[in-house]
Amino acid sequence: MPGIDECLSQAMAIAGARAAGLIDWSSGLALGSVGVSPTGDHDTTAAEATDLVRAAVEGATFTAAEDGKAPLQDIILTAGRSYHLLCFIDTVFDSRLVLHLWLDRAEGNLAGARYRLQSLAEELVLG
Amino acid sequence: MTNPVTSDPAATVGTQVGFRPPAGPVAPVLPVAVDPGWTPGAAVERLAAERATGALRGPAGTVYLVDGLVTHAESHRAPDLATLLTTSGRLDPDTWQEAVHRFGPYARVGEALVEQGRLTRGELELCHLGTLYDAACFLLDTPATLASWTFAPGMRHWLGPVAAVGAHRLRREAERRRHLLDRIWPSAQLDTVPLRRTAAQAPAPGRHARRVRPPTRRQYELLDRADGRRTVAELARLFGRSAFATTADVRRLAAAGLLAGPGAGTAPGAGTGSGVGAGCAAGVAPGVGPGPGVGTVGAVPVPRGPGGLHRRVPGAALAALTGRAAAPSAPAAPPLPTVPSVPAQAASGPRTTALPLTAADPDTALLIRVRTLLEARL
Repeated sequence: MPGIDECLSQAMAIAGARAAGLIDWSSGLALGSVGVSPTGDHDTTAAEATDLVRAAVEGATFTAAEDGKAPLQDIILTAGRSYHLLCFIDTVFDSRLVLHLWLDRAEGNLAGARYRLQSLAEELVLG
Repeated sequence: MTNPVTSDPAATVGTQVGFRPPAGPVAPVLPVAVDPGWTPGAAVERLAAERATGALRGPAGTVYLVDGLVTHAESHRAPDLATLLTTSGRLDPDTWQEAVHRFGPYARVGEALVEQGRLTRGELELCHLGTLYDAACFLLDTPATLASWTFAPGMRHWLGPVAAVGAHRLRREAERRRHLLDRIWPSAQLDTVPLRRTAAQAPAPGRHARRVRPPTRRQYELLDRADGRRTVAELARLFGRSAFATTADVRRLAAAGLLAGPGAGTAPGAGTGSGVGAGCAAGVAPGVGPGPGVGTVGAVPVPRGPGGLHRRVPGAALAALTGRAAAPSAPAAPPLPTVPSVPAQAASGPRTTALPLTAADPDTALLIRVRTLLEARL
C-alpha cells in the first residue's frame, strides 16, 4: 500500500520526470518533494504552483460546470522544454492536494505521464 | 531507470513520512529545562535540538516530539484527525472510538486502522500531516511565552508514529501562513471571535480593492453558518476543514465585506446605509454607546447585528420571565461593544411588540417573532 514517499518515487519513475511534489494548495505547502526543483527550492515551487491552481479553481469559468469533489482533474502547462502536470487528488475527507510532476519535454510523453500520474493519485488515496 | 535525478525518498523535503522512531530506549529525556521566557516556537526548536521525546503542553494545545522531530500537534483552534475523518463520513465515529480504545494504550491507532483496512496508508499520512501542520502552526506562531506550558518527557501520542516534521520547518511554515493570511486581510482579531454575515458593501480601499471575486461554494457554506456565535475554529470543525483554509476563506470574505466579527468597524450602515439598519440604527449601532432606543420600549439599547437579527442572549428569556432586570452581565462591554446586555424591558411588555420595529425585512421580522415566542416558552 503506497504512502506519500512511494507515490512520489513512482512518479519519478515516469519517463522524463525531473521532479515530483505533493502540494497542499490551500496553503502552498510542499508535503513532499523529490528531484530537482526548477527554482532550486521546492517550497518556492509549491507556492508558485499553488498560485496557478488557485487562479484556475477560483474563477467560475473553469469550474462552474463541474460537480466533483475535487474542483478539477488536472492542469497541464506546456513550454518549450518542459511539461508541468498538476493532478488533483480526491479524498473523502476534506483536503486540497495536487500532485505536481515536472517533465522533460524531449524525454517525456505527455499523455502517458498524465495517465500514470492520475492512477498514482488514485492509488495514494485508495490504496 | 533512465532518469538522472535521484528519487531517493530521503530527498523528500523536510517531512519524513513513514517515520519510525528509533528502536530501543529513546535518547536523552530532558530534565524539564523549558525556560518560561521562551515562545512555544523557540521551545520546540530547542527541544528538537536536544533530540527530546515528550509532550509540550500549553493552554491552547500540545506538541509531541519523538527524538527531536514533531510527530503530532493538537490545538483547540484546529480540527483533529478524528474530526476530519468522521465529519466527512470516511470513518464511522464508533470505528474510530473502538480503535482508540483498543490500540491507544499501545500507541498504534493509526497503524491498526491501516492494518484493518479502515484507512489506506496514503489517507492516514495525508490527513495526519495536514492536521499536524494545521495545529502546530497555530500553536507555535505566537509571541506569548511559555509561562503556563509544561513539558512531559517521554510522553507519546496514542495515534502512534505516522510522519514527522522538523521543528524549524514547522516554525517557518507557521510564519509563512501568518503572512499569507495578513496579505489577504490583516485582521487577526477575526480568528478568534464569533463571526456574522454583513450586508455586502464596497470593498475597502487600498490594495484590497482589486477585482473582487464572488464567493466560492465553500465560502457560501461558511457564510450560511456564520451566525454571530460560531468562531473560525467552530466553523472548521463543523465542516471538517482545516483551520488554516477556513481562516483564509473567512479573511477573504471579510475583505469582501461579507463577514465581520462582533462590532467590527466594517459594519455596514457606517455610510452605505444598508436597508435594514437605516431607519433604526441610531441608538444601537455597534460601537455607538448606549443611547435612547428609537421608538422601542424603555431606554434599553437593544444590541443588534446589522443583519437585522438581535443576538440571542443566553438566559434572556428567563431573566425576562422572572422579572429580574438582570444586571448587565457585560461589564466587558468596552472591548466587545456588541456583547448584548440583558434586555430589561420585561416589565414593559412582551418583546414581540418592541422588536419588529427594528426589522424592516419581513422575513427578519418573522424570524424574530418566532424566536421570541420560542424563548418565551423556555
